[in-house]
Amino acid sequence: MLNVKEMLEELNASPYEEIEIRTPHTGVVEFVGLAPGDRVNGPSGKWLERPGTLLANLTREKNKKPICATQKGQVMDIRAELEGRFVEAGERLLTIRHFLSKEEVLGRILKKALHLFCAPERAKYYFVPEIDAKIKAGGEQSVKVREGLDMFIVSRMKRETPLSYSGPEGIIYAVYFQQGDNVDGGQPLIGVCPESQLTLIQDVVSRVQGEWEERD
Amino acid sequence: MARHTLLIANRGEIAMRILRACVTLGHDFVCVYTTADAQSGHVRLARELGGPDRLFRINSYQDPSEILAVADASQATAVHPGYGFFAEDFRFARRVVERQRPLIFIGPSWTLVRDLGDKINTKRIARAHSVPTIPGSDRPIYDEMEAVELAQTIFAFQQDQGIAEGCVLVKASAGGGGMGIEEVYDLDKFRSVYRRIRNYAKRNLSDEGVLIEQRIFDFNHLEVQVLAERGGKNAVHLGTRNCSVQSLGRQKRIEVAPGFDPASLTYAFDAAGVLDAITRHSVNMSLQVGYDNVGTWEWIVTPRGEPFLMEVNTRIQVENGVSGVTSRIQGRADGADGVDVIAEQIRLGLGEPLGYTQQNVSTTGVGIEYRILAEDPLDRFTPCLGRIEAFGWVAEPWLQVFTQVPTLQLGDEPYEIPMDFDPNLALGIVWGQSLDEARARGVEFLGGLVLQGTDTRGEPLRTNVDFLKNRTQTLLHF
Repeated sequence: MLNVKEMLEELNASPYEEIEIRTPHTGVVEFVGLAPGDRVNGPSGKWLERPGTLLANLTREKNKKPICATQKGQVMDIRAELEGRFVEAGERLLTIRHFLSKEEVLGRILKKALHLFCAPERAKYYFVPEIDAKIKAGGEQSVKVREGLDMFIVSRMKRETPLSYSGPEGIIYAVYFQQGDNVDGGQPLIGVCPESQLTLIQDVVSRVQGEWEERD
Repeated sequence: MARHTLLIANRGEIAMRILRACVTLGHDFVCVYTTADAQSGHVRLARELGGPDRLFRINSYQDPSEILAVADASQATAVHPGYGFFAEDFRFARRVVERQRPLIFIGPSWTLVRDLGDKINTKRIARAHSVPTIPGSDRPIYDEMEAVELAQTIFAFQQDQGIAEGCVLVKASAGGGGMGIEEVYDLDKFRSVYRRIRNYAKRNLSDEGVLIEQRIFDFNHLEVQVLAERGGKNAVHLGTRNCSVQSLGRQKRIEVAPGFDPASLTYAFDAAGVLDAITRHSVNMSLQVGYDNVGTWEWIVTPRGEPFLMEVNTRIQVENGVSGVTSRIQGRADGADGVDVIAEQIRLGLGEPLGYTQQNVSTTGVGIEYRILAEDPLDRFTPCLGRIEAFGWVAEPWLQVFTQVPTLQLGDEPYEIPMDFDPNLALGIVWGQSLDEARARGVEFLGGLVLQGTDTRGEPLRTNVDFLKNRTQTLLHF
């Protein structure tokens, strides 16, 4: 049985995560004057259309790319020595300490409550067109899955093979991967909620909503 | 000749060969790599031959801005695309040469990459120059009804010809490398295959165009290696290659030069005449279209000895080395390894004249190239991921091995096979005076190869070495 209280206490003991902001590609770095301790905001708006606080600019081929905060939080350290330098892809620029929101806490707890169907191996995963269309039309929770259902296309080393779902019958409650991104073996692809457990999941949701205090 | 700095926009063994060719020709180089490739041979070799300043970590080999930003930051003057990635991307080739700080693209002019990069367009160009091509559509098909009607016509044609089991080939028109191709034996299944290929093409190639043509059975796949100088006025060939040993996905596994061996094997047709015809057609077409770098004319030869041009690869190919090892240029100090086709490509790309004619080029002996991959030939050549724990071979004067995998002994730090790319581990090229000698040496090389590892499930790593060994005995038989 899921012990929600214990999990909430565990998360309360360390209620944040540290996010490293790295350069998405090569370019010349130009910081915008933030200092350690400064507060920054993540993207906002209904479709996250408003970017987060500007952290730095990365200029490549005369195109200036703003590097924005991906989450709300506090700047921890900035690598000022990179100012004005051409850097490689993946170079760490700064770190943000982000306090967990209710949704994030809920996501973490749900991962323990739902039946997770995981990637059998490192590959790129796609939903088969029929499932993809259903999710696009009605959202992920509109799709029922059952044992043996052809759900995914696994793309590995440029070869594509189908992958069937195995596990209890239920609805897709959460999708944990981005189509086309590499997913490591063992990482969850979807979280499935058997219909008999929908009440329990609703209970978890309401407890987190009521008991988790946001600090930021 | 001016000293250039070449940015090598590729990875693995081809990047290593380009790098070595740069050093041989006295040019500087710059290499790029991604995080997944940090252990790769080209990174180690670049560090060894040029130091850490010649290496740049990028987010993707397929991001043109990354390549060009590194080119600017390193003051590179030319870009070598290798094979795959940008090698046949005319937009990239155009962008390289038409920017504010123009660079040299080591490859054909972008207009040629564009015109010959499309199989169907190539078919039209070939037909216009009286080069024989495979019966079938000569434009991309976008309409399902039209595709079905064409398939019906081809099946009916094969029935009229007395072919017991007719077959239609459905290909993504912008595809290549054996990807996006399927055979259809039954008209009832045509629609589903057509839709699958169309979806594949849309997802991976951004073009839904599909080519439909007659599937020719039991053919041999031959290639002609062409070298042409800037301006397209002079061109030569370095003989032919036979690439008929392929995986189920139509990806080449063994290449042999020359394409047929009429001196030691008997053919049901005039094999020497076919080799002569395809080299003649290839060089003539190259001159007629003004081709201006290294390229490969790929041919199908039917059991009756009819050659049909399949496509033109406007780039260096994986198997260029096997043509190099069997070619000699009169008056040139090429070593026992023959002609370095990549060095020739760089030279021609930088605008040097060819400096020789077809009369100065001769071929000698037989070369065999083995592509060693982590894959399971017994399970439809499925790629095998994992780590290599022991890797090595016995060095011989008749053997060249190109690999990004470090030589390893059990107990060394294992090499992780990156999953983002083809599971190519090594290319081994052997040379012999005759086909028999080359085959014997091939078997000796594969027999002495040490290749051990563990896959991601903890089982022994599967490779195609036994498959290559088994297929060696029947090479060039037709």
